[in-house]
Amino acid sequence: MTAKKRAIWVFGDYRNYFQNRVTLQLLSRARDLAARIDAEVCGVVFGYRTDEWRGDVDSYNPTFCGVVGEYIAHGADKVYLADDPRLDAYSMETYTLLMEQLVKREKPEIILIGATTFGREFASRVAKRLATGLTADCIGLDINDDGLLVQIAPSFGGNLVAEIVTPERRPQMATVRPGTFQEIPHDKSRTGKVVKVPLPKSLPADRVRLVRSERCPQREQKLEDAKVVVCGGRGLGSKKKFAKLFELADLLGGEVGATRPVVYADWADHEALVGQAGKQIKPQILLSFGISGAIQHTAACNDAKFIIAVNKNPNAAMMKRADVAIVSDASQICTTLIQELKRRIR
Amino acid sequence: MLKLVVCIKQVPMVSELPWDPAKGTLQRDLAEGMMNPACRSALDTALRIKETAGGKITAITMGPPMAEEVLREAIALGADRGVLLSDRKMAGADTSVTSYTLARAIEKACPGFDLVLCGFSTSDSETAQVGPQLAEELDIPGVAYVDEIEISGHTVRMRRFTDNFLETLEMDLPGLVTVNAGRYAPRHVPLGGLQAAFDGADIVSLNAAEIGLDPERIGAKGSATKILNVYSPTAGKKNIVLTGAPKRIVEQIFERFDDKIGGAIGKDLKTERK
Amino acid sequence: MKHKVVRKAVRMFAEAELGPIAHDIDRDARFPLEVVEKMMPLHFFGLQAPKAYGGAEMDTISYAIVIEEISRVSAAVGLCLTVHNSVGIYPIVRFGTEEQKNRFLPAMARGERIGAFCLTEANAGSDAGGVETVALRDDRDYVINGTKIFVTNGGVCGTALIFAITDTQNPQRSAGVFIVEKENPGFAVGEIEDLCGMRANPVSSLFLEDCRVPETNMLGRPGDGIKIGLATLDAGRLGIAAQALGLAQAAFEDSVRYSKERQQFRKPISSFQTIQNYLADMATEIDAGRLLLYRACAVKDAGRPFGAEAAMAKLYCSELATRVTNTAVQIHGGYGYSKEYDVERYFRDAKVTEIYEGTSEVQRMVISRAVLAQRT
Repeated sequence: MTAKKRAIWVFGDYRNYFQNRVTLQLLSRARDLAARIDAEVCGVVFGYRTDEWRGDVDSYNPTFCGVVGEYIAHGADKVYLADDPRLDAYSMETYTLLMEQLVKREKPEIILIGATTFGREFASRVAKRLATGLTADCIGLDINDDGLLVQIAPSFGGNLVAEIVTPERRPQMATVRPGTFQEIPHDKSRTGKVVKVPLPKSLPADRVRLVRSERCPQREQKLEDAKVVVCGGRGLGSKKKFAKLFELADLLGGEVGATRPVVYADWADHEALVGQAGKQIKPQILLSFGISGAIQHTAACNDAKFIIAVNKNPNAAMMKRADVAIVSDASQICTTLIQELKRRIR
Repeated sequence: MLKLVVCIKQVPMVSELPWDPAKGTLQRDLAEGMMNPACRSALDTALRIKETAGGKITAITMGPPMAEEVLREAIALGADRGVLLSDRKMAGADTSVTSYTLARAIEKACPGFDLVLCGFSTSDSETAQVGPQLAEELDIPGVAYVDEIEISGHTVRMRRFTDNFLETLEMDLPGLVTVNAGRYAPRHVPLGGLQAAFDGADIVSLNAAEIGLDPERIGAKGSATKILNVYSPTAGKKNIVLTGAPKRIVEQIFERFDDKIGGAIGKDLKTERK
Repeated sequence: MKHKVVRKAVRMFAEAELGPIAHDIDRDARFPLEVVEKMMPLHFFGLQAPKAYGGAEMDTISYAIVIEEISRVSAAVGLCLTVHNSVGIYPIVRFGTEEQKNRFLPAMARGERIGAFCLTEANAGSDAGGVETVALRDDRDYVINGTKIFVTNGGVCGTALIFAITDTQNPQRSAGVFIVEKENPGFAVGEIEDLCGMRANPVSSLFLEDCRVPETNMLGRPGDGIKIGLATLDAGRLGIAAQALGLAQAAFEDSVRYSKERQQFRKPISSFQTIQNYLADMATEIDAGRLLLYRACAVKDAGRPFGAEAAMAKLYCSELATRVTNTAVQIHGGYGYSKEYDVERYFRDAKVTEIYEGTSEVQRMVISRAVLAQRT
């Protein structure tokens, strides 16, 4: 009897598809990793009416061929599917139990889950249930010479990056930040196997009861989606000086962000908070004025492509992160930039 | 009367810590500590529950002896007692082992607890895993990333905004929540409370044996994951440093990056318009 | 551990609440009432007052740390707190009757009434014997007449302790301390002084015109004034030393940071030996001052006489504050002279620490007396 092929599983977090494409991104990476350890790539879907469109009404795409079809078209060799009215909403305990049973039966080598809010909590529970290791919020995955999954994850707000492995326990598990990997384009010709996962006749009721769940209209994520962000911190000195950032942002067609102390001092609204407890930004250009760079803030700026930081202190954490570190008075540079931009933009 | 347990972590006050390759851990004892901000929110939430519905709060922390500071602060803010879990053997624990340690300690030190509150994640490790894993270990229902919470009788009602869904959930006590960092500034520590917290506070310290932990399951030994290497992504980053008069600095920015900035904003910044 | 935690907690408060406004309140000479509001429930106004009256009953080193950390961000606000606690509340705690403590302390400990100690007059500075404010007995009351100047917290004080003589023939032996609340008829606050430093503190004159108070408002008895005054000033000196230390610490930290940033001759100026020597001296004397201060605090808490130790701490810390802040401005060069940086404020604030609550000359008097009184 041939040994069963090893498998890399990707959990299908499908309820916000098409905006949330992390599952497709993970399927793509899984293919790369699978090639290195001679494994197959499997999607795992728990839900109800999974062939129907479940995402946001406004973003419906007529080429949609059911979640399972999408996953196969984007790289899965196989999809484990549990489609049942009891799985209509994501319910943590039920999903954890189903995953536990499935894993114990099929014994995958690796499980990857997108680091959405649900995914992170779900992965934690599954890893605990299976007594295995889990690395959260990875920004990279690799296979090393020992054939182990190398889980690359940041800590201290991104100031430190760790390479982690799970040497003994199985499966090796990781959650991955959306946007870390590139999905493979939809390939209609790809085929794959669908394995129906039967539910036990009686499922214990989830001890957490979902009273109400409203999909929120995809709220305008101006700050999170902005291509240019102008962020200000205490180093600007005063509310009046902070306010000049709005003029600069306007000229650049960008948004204004703020650090926590600035929000508490009421120089900016809580909606402008960029930080671990506020908004995550991923601009092409980030201009950082008078920000020292507490990790709670820098953690949310990690995905900025190009950072220009202004601070009197050249050793501030934000200055070390920046591509261009300007040692000067933040407010003065802001004013001078505004003047110069006005001259150049007509 | 509600028995509330708040799990607090003392995190370093610095943005990075040196890595000790010999031990395979960060050199945490090099930095001053502070109460993790999200844990502070969890404590604030517990205090609000105590103020409205009544109850007793036990603050619990796992760490080196210095972690006692956060327990004193918690008591100064209104917690009733503190429990320090400290033992060399606990060092190097991953989140699963931490949740095991906390669970057994909670069962021992706070039998009959009603609600466990944790911060949603810590500013240093940022895994957000301990809360849910603690719920698993204690075998109680748990909800993460909670924004609002209300207790009536034996039922907890929670609201949260996760992945584009505004959810209202319910569970029966005993249960666990992890709390999002609040939008309001945390309360400051009252000085009278601090003095009292040091004059005579109910703080106990427990080691692994006293908690009743299986030595094979704790510390680095019991951890499933292993850190191979830690590095600073910015070390050796060659960045451009500009100093001097603001006018000259801004000139240089445009000299070198007018394309990049112009590209991002969709405008041509090359020449000064006359 | 307690002192470390107290320091961290107060530093976080000071940086969050006073940090953003310290510069502006000095520029505008504005007393930040909104921060006072936040300080009230946190026991900043009852740091050492007994718990029975709503105070935090902290040990003296913790008290010094609180004043130091607040002063590190805003010395003017630190001044308000130390005067209120050390020379406002302390004399009442030490010399008041149970009835007086119950009547005056709770509101003061809550910060609802800010305290001020009024000794100085136009003709009475270091020479307390030159006091001309008179409190004449009239049946069961005393009627007070006189003008007090340079009263710290004067503009916002709710409870003032007035040093007055009760018998013009016998000024020294008849001095007394009277507690006067601001609503009392005959009590008026003069204009706020326009000072070089500590500008956010509402220092003013106080006018007492036929100000009538019951005899139950006198601390102790007629003639106790000198004794109460001296004991009060001993305690006050610890607070001023802490305040000076906070100033010096701030100036020192800014100097270290600046010297690492500022480049001249293609090097950070911290690589030059001159600057290194400055920093080394600053660090050493601040440490020495701190130890002197904490020693005096410990002696006070042990219940022993601490006058000479307090005088030493005040003398040394105030003079080191002037030296350190002066050097700090020098290290900052031209920028140190500009209001864009904080060091010029520390420099302006520091000078008065050598003057109030007993000039350095008076401190030397106190210390030399103690030295000469020792048996050889």
